[in-house]
Amino acid sequence: MPEGVGFILFYLINGLIWGLIIALISLGLSLIFGVMGIVNMAHGDIYMIGAVLSFYFVSLFGNFWISLLIVPLIVALIAAPTERFILRPFEGHPSVTMIATVGISFILQQVALATFGGIPKKISSPWEVSFDFLGVSYPGYRLLVAAISTLIIIGVWLFLYRTSLGILIRASMQDKEMASAMGINVNKVLIGTFVLGSVLAAIGGVLAAPISQVFYLMGNDVILLCFIVVIVGGLGSLEGTLIAALILSSVEGAMAAFLTPTEARAMIFIIMVAVLMLRPQGLFGSKRT
Amino acid sequence: MKRGFPFLLVISLLVLGLILPRGARSLMVQMMAFSIFAMAYDISLGFTNQCSLGHSVFFGAGAYGTILPMLHWHFGVLPSVFIGFLLGLVLAFLTGLISVRLSEAYFVIVTAIFSAIFHLLAMDMTWLTGGDDGLSVTLPKIGFGPLKLSLYHPLGTYYFVLAFLLAGYLALRTIVGSPLGMIFVAIRENEKRTAFLGYNVRTYKLIAFLISGTFTALSGGLYAVSLRYATADFFSLYWSIIPIVWCLVGGLGTLIGPCIGVALMSLFQYYVSAWWTYYLVIFGVLILLILRVSRRGILGYFIGRGARGGWRL
Repeated sequence: MPEGVGFILFYLINGLIWGLIIALISLGLSLIFGVMGIVNMAHGDIYMIGAVLSFYFVSLFGNFWISLLIVPLIVALIAAPTERFILRPFEGHPSVTMIATVGISFILQQVALATFGGIPKKISSPWEVSFDFLGVSYPGYRLLVAAISTLIIIGVWLFLYRTSLGILIRASMQDKEMASAMGINVNKVLIGTFVLGSVLAAIGGVLAAPISQVFYLMGNDVILLCFIVVIVGGLGSLEGTLIAALILSSVEGAMAAFLTPTEARAMIFIIMVAVLMLRPQGLFGSKRT
Repeated sequence: MKRGFPFLLVISLLVLGLILPRGARSLMVQMMAFSIFAMAYDISLGFTNQCSLGHSVFFGAGAYGTILPMLHWHFGVLPSVFIGFLLGLVLAFLTGLISVRLSEAYFVIVTAIFSAIFHLLAMDMTWLTGGDDGLSVTLPKIGFGPLKLSLYHPLGTYYFVLAFLLAGYLALRTIVGSPLGMIFVAIRENEKRTAFLGYNVRTYKLIAFLISGTFTALSGGLYAVSLRYATADFFSLYWSIIPIVWCLVGGLGTLIGPCIGVALMSLFQYYVSAWWTYYLVIFGVLILLILRVSRRGILGYFIGRGARGGWRL
């Protein structure tokens, strides 16, 4: 066990890297809520599906990087009809979408349990290099995860702020009716947003698979932190989600140096309650949601 | 006919206890305990339109609030159930204070977070809760003067829980029929207009949440008494979701509907879970199907003649 500055830094970096993965997943959650008003309880299970599919591809091809390319495609193919044919009638009603997505969550979890089994499995690290830093040896794959996540987040940002579909999505987030009145093809936006959000969760799952255990309930743990993140950051606020994900995960990571994981999680929860007492709409949320 | 119906129901419940075989009777005890949960949950979802995912907190708290005093301080059963009830009240008040003032989406998410955090803590604090293995307890006899009721007698638990079910139903019936219940319905139908009429919506939502949480805790306590056991699993999200399924299957906005939902789903679970491990898939499909047909649940569908917008949001 390392000591001193390096010791705390180790935990802080760990937290920050998880923060980047959590930011990916939470961005998807926040986008889906912002555009469609869906409180997606199945989001964590899409993350789980990403990890499980990745496990299968790794054991099939023996190559992790192929799964990083194929799994998002498969999830996109599942997500599009799910939005169009199952969730569409419920959109805009947070409670109803929450109940409906709980139903989807049950289905995904049980399908994973039936096919993948109930025993946690591990994927070996695809890049077994470690770096020494301030007397701490740090696994290279985790740093790679940080780099990939950062690139994807930048990519999502460029997509939302620089491309025409991104502008349509942001317009729909601000005012769906007005966007529709301006002639925006809302159908395309809705499917596109749900696919994008789900793919982000699935990529999070693929990236997290080698550094955590692949398990059919692994989504529950992650969705809890993601929900805390979007609540603290402000529902539907992308900047808020990103900032809250990085801060909360770093804080949790740093506290994990002194506390048990459950205690650290409880501390994050207390931060959330404090934020809610002061700002019921979250740090960056608008009063409207 | 209509007046005689509740009377008939009570009589048949009383008689059923005597004639049912052992296995069916214990299933019945479970259903009666859950019925209180379902009715209590409907006060929150069906009457004031607060879709809470945090009710497992109250269910678990009720169970441990009942088991722990018996285990550690050798309290009687009735005082212990009462302590569980009070613990539910306190927790509902604390969580309600934070959550009822939030908007709908925040309310749903924050209550779900409460449930998840309490589950994590309960699993972690094994010194208090026994964790996943849980805690078993020996039930002391209940004394009514010279009479002693043992809950180990096959009929004891049945009539014990039945008494609470009837009392709980009457209490909730009175609340729902009172002016307070009318305000609840008004909030469900149109929150803004109710506020314009001069009612403090937040306070009434909190009151509904308190009633709902407290009776949920009572149900948790009774369930724990009937099992003589409580586990940290009672805090898991499953126990927040299952009352939604009961209410949806039975019908939102009524008291009998959720009980019917409990009966149907318990029988379903009892028979289907025996031959198919993954029966929760059917739960998921069922939820999606019912929501598509009517957001007031099956009974609500027939009452409202299939009004799609019945459950206004």
